[in-house]
Amino acid sequence: MNSSSGPLIRPSLLLLLILLPSFAFKPSHADPVKWILTKECTLKVNGSTNINKFSCIVPEYVQPDTLICYKENKNGPLKISGSMALDVQKFDCKHAVMTNDLRKTLKAKVYPKIIIKFLNLSKYPDLYNREEAIKGAVTIELAGIVKHFEVDYKYTMTGNGNLKLIGTKQVNFSDFNISPPRKLGGMIKTNNELNVEFVLNIKTLN
Amino acid sequence: MKRIILSGLIAGAILFTLCYGGLYIGIRLFPVLFMDYNNPLFNSDGNRDVFFYMHAFIISFALSWFWDRFKGLFQGHFVLRGLEFGFVYAMVSLLPVMWITFSSLDITFFMVLSWFLYGFFQAVIAGTLFAKLNP
Repeated sequence: MNSSSGPLIRPSLLLLLILLPSFAFKPSHADPVKWILTKECTLKVNGSTNINKFSCIVPEYVQPDTLICYKENKNGPLKISGSMALDVQKFDCKHAVMTNDLRKTLKAKVYPKIIIKFLNLSKYPDLYNREEAIKGAVTIELAGIVKHFEVDYKYTMTGNGNLKLIGTKQVNFSDFNISPPRKLGGMIKTNNELNVEFVLNIKTLN
Repeated sequence: MKRIILSGLIAGAILFTLCYGGLYIGIRLFPVLFMDYNNPLFNSDGNRDVFFYMHAFIISFALSWFWDRFKGLFQGHFVLRGLEFGFVYAMVSLLPVMWITFSSLDITFFMVLSWFLYGFFQAVIAGTLFAKLNP
């Protein structure tokens, strides 16, 4: 009896052994949502020297990327995987000399990309409750240094139904081992603080 | 030689105070005029600041030596001698240097003009001092 049922059991056992790991490692209730970053994404950096203020912007994002959000539940925190990589050479300060100076300061020739990696959000944007603040963690890679930051987000819907997520964070040149530029023996000094604002224009895919 | 060094040192100290003091005040009073210095052409990491601040003494010692060699050519009241000395320096040295600087670097005419007038002012002050200290 044993010898005749053995060959019948073995294929079932084998199938179970193959399928079991896929059930075991599937995240519970995780519901991945794809966020397509469109070319309307921007990055703005506001700073100041002791004689003027400057505002420099990467006005568009020419290589659309995808972020994947894992919704565990409707109001809970969610993990994100994905990043955006912006060209430092695309910074425009509306003043050619300052634009060149910023690119040099950010070591654009050696480190041509700013990479913002998205890690999580405190909750999924609720489009019926837009006043609610959302926080999220990102890492920013600039001039070869990667730093972790908590970012404050605001969000809104655009006319074409995209989600617009606006993240702001104050960072320092020194966070990235960059010395703020100083000219004429230090008589003209750039302040260490920079206000970074990135606008994510997101097309949602379920 | 002693007179060259001594008058160079005194002129250097006075030019240091006047020029950097004037620059410090000028930047605060007229910041717009200095915005073009946020330019990658200018050193920005501070590793040459010492050289920048030594300039007043470098130009003073150079002009002191030049004055000692050619002071006989400058006649009259000490202020007039200083003015003529400054004018000669501006024509012989500053004008050609500023000309090639403007033609080759991406800087504004106003910036070059301000350097020319700054150098002329330095040489007049130095010349006037030399006319008193080493007549």
